[in-house]
Amino acid sequence: MTAMIEVTGLSKRYRDRIAVEELTFTVPEGEILGFLGPNGAGKSTTMKILTGYLPATSGTVKVAGFDVFEEPYEVKRRIGYLPETPPLYPEMTVRGYLRFVASIKGVRRGQMATELERVSHATGVADVMDRLIQNLSKGYRQRVGVAQALLASPPVLILDEPTEGLDPSQRAEVRQLVKGLAGKHTVILSTHLLSEVTMTCERVLILNQGRMVAFDEIRNLAHALGQGDQTSLEDIFLKLTAAA
Amino acid sequence: MRNALAIARKELSIYFSTPWAYVIFTGMVGISAFFFLGNIANFKDAQMYARIYGWARIPPELKNLTDGVIVPLWDVIAVIVIFAGPFLSMRLFAEEKRNRTFELLMTAPVRPWEIVLGKYLGGVGIISATLGLTLVFPLTLSLFGASESGSALEWRTVGLGFAGLLLWGATAMAVGMFLSSLTESQALAAFLTFIVLLAWFVLRFLAPGAEEPWRGVINYLSFGGQLSTLFRGVLELKALVFFGSVIVLSFLLTHRTVELQRWA
Repeated sequence: MTAMIEVTGLSKRYRDRIAVEELTFTVPEGEILGFLGPNGAGKSTTMKILTGYLPATSGTVKVAGFDVFEEPYEVKRRIGYLPETPPLYPEMTVRGYLRFVASIKGVRRGQMATELERVSHATGVADVMDRLIQNLSKGYRQRVGVAQALLASPPVLILDEPTEGLDPSQRAEVRQLVKGLAGKHTVILSTHLLSEVTMTCERVLILNQGRMVAFDEIRNLAHALGQGDQTSLEDIFLKLTAAA
Repeated sequence: MRNALAIARKELSIYFSTPWAYVIFTGMVGISAFFFLGNIANFKDAQMYARIYGWARIPPELKNLTDGVIVPLWDVIAVIVIFAGPFLSMRLFAEEKRNRTFELLMTAPVRPWEIVLGKYLGGVGIISATLGLTLVFPLTLSLFGASESGSALEWRTVGLGFAGLLLWGATAMAVGMFLSSLTESQALAAFLTFIVLLAWFVLRFLAPGAEEPWRGVINYLSFGGQLSTLFRGVLELKALVFFGSVIVLSFLLTHRTVELQRWA
């Protein structure tokens, strides 16, 4: 399998504060990678660098073979991104908003209706299409955020806490949705909820204080720490992040 | 270009779905109506005075409706733009940054110049709509006014004056857009824009006290001086070059600020 995302020696410093240090990993095409770590570990910063929103202090990031810094346009065409705060315009209707995002992502006028249909059904926002975003509940806003990332079917999806603010049944729906993306899309998913990762991802990358403390398949991690298959991800997580 | 137009359309749809645009529209029409009525009263007084004491005794600009009513009205509207413009331009970039939607624009396959152009076109659209409402005044005059020599208004002068007003509005929006790109705070963006436009406006009051060559420089730089020739129906290349350069400069500075995000 070819690598879709290649990160080499990535560091980000804000003056003397280190946000991310010497991060190196690759994600093969079609895989879902779970991004885990306590608050402030550098998950969101890493995602912002991958999408070309923030520049790295050092190191390189390649998406589908294109360097994020050298060819940002090519990279941006291939990424769907849900930031930690969904980027919504409260004064717009869901339909108007999705139509706007689709048009700047290059969806042609002729395919607009089908594309909106597809995405709104996949994320369960089809019944609120004509409501103003400012009147939506948090769960719906979050789903509109996911819908926006899916528009134009980008090969890479970077989702920063897509299940944040959802109730358990909505969370299960989004989880199903993300799971269904495997194979067609390469996904990086960050979350606080450890159970989420176990259910959706094959591999996890655990960050703590800007450093990578683990990057492996979930069951290998359990073995490496000298415990049986019974070990939950929670135990692994606590063990790894407590060390620092 | 397609992206820029999509962004411009989005800007306009947001302007028209918030109360801001309507408040500005109302303010613009209300205040200019007040001055329009004042100008008409002045004009009527002058006519009466002329009938009693003869036409030679009244100032030449009060002899026709165009120079007596519309030209002074454009002068007032240009000043209202100093107050209205900042409230329209303040949200262009500051709101996107505060809302975290800037992240969406910056991670979408859109080039920075397309973002700036789209934003600017949206801004020019809303200021043009605001100024367009004031066309109701010359239209009213031409409907109800009369003149012995055909049309009550000299449409060439009125049209050129209005074009000058649009140019000034577009310039104010360009300056406002740049200042809005520097901050997350809409209030700060509006305040800075207002200060810059106001300082620019009062510049012309410095000219009489200054020595040459400074007086010439100040007169050239003051927008009021540049506008007054256009308002009086004189098309001057130097005025177009002047406002055009301010617009282009603001555009380039905004583009730089947006690009800088990648290097922060």
